[in-house]
Amino acid sequence: MKDIKQLIGNTLRIGVFTACFIALVGGIIYLWKHGADPMPDYSHFSYSDAHPEEYTTLGGIWAGILDMNAYSWIQAGVIALLLTPILRVTLSLFDFLRERDWLYAFITSVVLAIIISNSLSV
Amino acid sequence: MTVLAFTLILLAASYLAGLLGSLTGLGGGVVVIPVLTLAFGVDFHYAIGGALVASIATSSGSGSAYVKEGITNIRLGMFLEIATTIGAVAGAIVAVWLNNSVIAIIYGGVLILTAIMQQRKKSDHEGVVGSETAKRLKLFGEWPQKDGSFKTYELKNVGGGFSVMVIAGVLSGILGIGSGVLKVIAMDGLMKVPFKVSTTTSNFMMGVTACASAVVYLQRGNIVPGIACPVLIGVLFGALTGARLLKKLDVRVLRRIFSIAILLVALNMIYQGLTGGFE
Repeated sequence: MKDIKQLIGNTLRIGVFTACFIALVGGIIYLWKHGADPMPDYSHFSYSDAHPEEYTTLGGIWAGILDMNAYSWIQAGVIALLLTPILRVTLSLFDFLRERDWLYAFITSVVLAIIISNSLSV
Repeated sequence: MTVLAFTLILLAASYLAGLLGSLTGLGGGVVVIPVLTLAFGVDFHYAIGGALVASIATSSGSGSAYVKEGITNIRLGMFLEIATTIGAVAGAIVAVWLNNSVIAIIYGGVLILTAIMQQRKKSDHEGVVGSETAKRLKLFGEWPQKDGSFKTYELKNVGGGFSVMVIAGVLSGILGIGSGVLKVIAMDGLMKVPFKVSTTTSNFMMGVTACASAVVYLQRGNIVPGIACPVLIGVLFGALTGARLLKKLDVRVLRRIFSIAILLVALNMIYQGLTGGFE
């Protein structure tokens, strides 16, 4: 039990610092290229307009990373951040399986399934 | 204003948001939303994206400090996450149809409730006789005391707690914040979980709940890199500082000041929501 807690703590720490580092790379490119531009207009959001693929789809983000696109790098950092709680739940699932706590292995799987299915369905 | 100025101001504000969010247990999103909407005139639908990033950063950032001490009740958190993640999925669907005014009023309401609940006495709920359901779900636990020993606790009203958690999830899906206040009502108020345990467990749940709706928001374009970058970095370092300070600092005075501040923000939000100030 002690080991898995240590592992969870380390996973969270490595996860958030990785996320931070990737976002920081993006942030530096962003300020380098656009720092002197006027602030973008964030005063109106529309659900019907299409938003740039470079930060809304996995494929777009991946292509943007190879192009050293600032938005894609930042968004990759956001995705790395999103993965930390998901990884944590996954580690707990393994822990419950190892303890042969089938009830909680099941409950944890349900939580994971809700998150994953919701992420894929859109 | 230039991109550079906006980014640096938001970075500083996010650091403070992460610091306050982790010291008060409310999460970074609670401060990020008013900074974006009231100070910079950002649309709420972008601010929600920023708040989601802030919630996950606070949760994972301060979580890495809490788990080691063994206070978090993982079973309780996991069980209640079924409720919060389902709620968050529903909230993310509903949010599309809500305009800024409605979101502002809901947010103001949650803040007022938060300010009131922050004044409550923190209780360790000693001598609670747990319910049969809680026992069958193996939700009883133990938590470390100052002298290094462990104290066991029992809890009850699983159904009531679970129901409130669905609402907490819906609000989290709509607003992007951790809606810690409802988690405290459910765990502390209804289920009688010791205060320290409910705070850290709520923090653990905040990140997972935010994840359930964050991917949808990212695909819809609500999470914009220009906002997400300073928020992610600022809140993360703020939360790490906060988790470190929390061990040494008496935060009672800070919590009281913070309650008054969020009450003022809440009234401003509701007023502007009612008068169409955000449209």
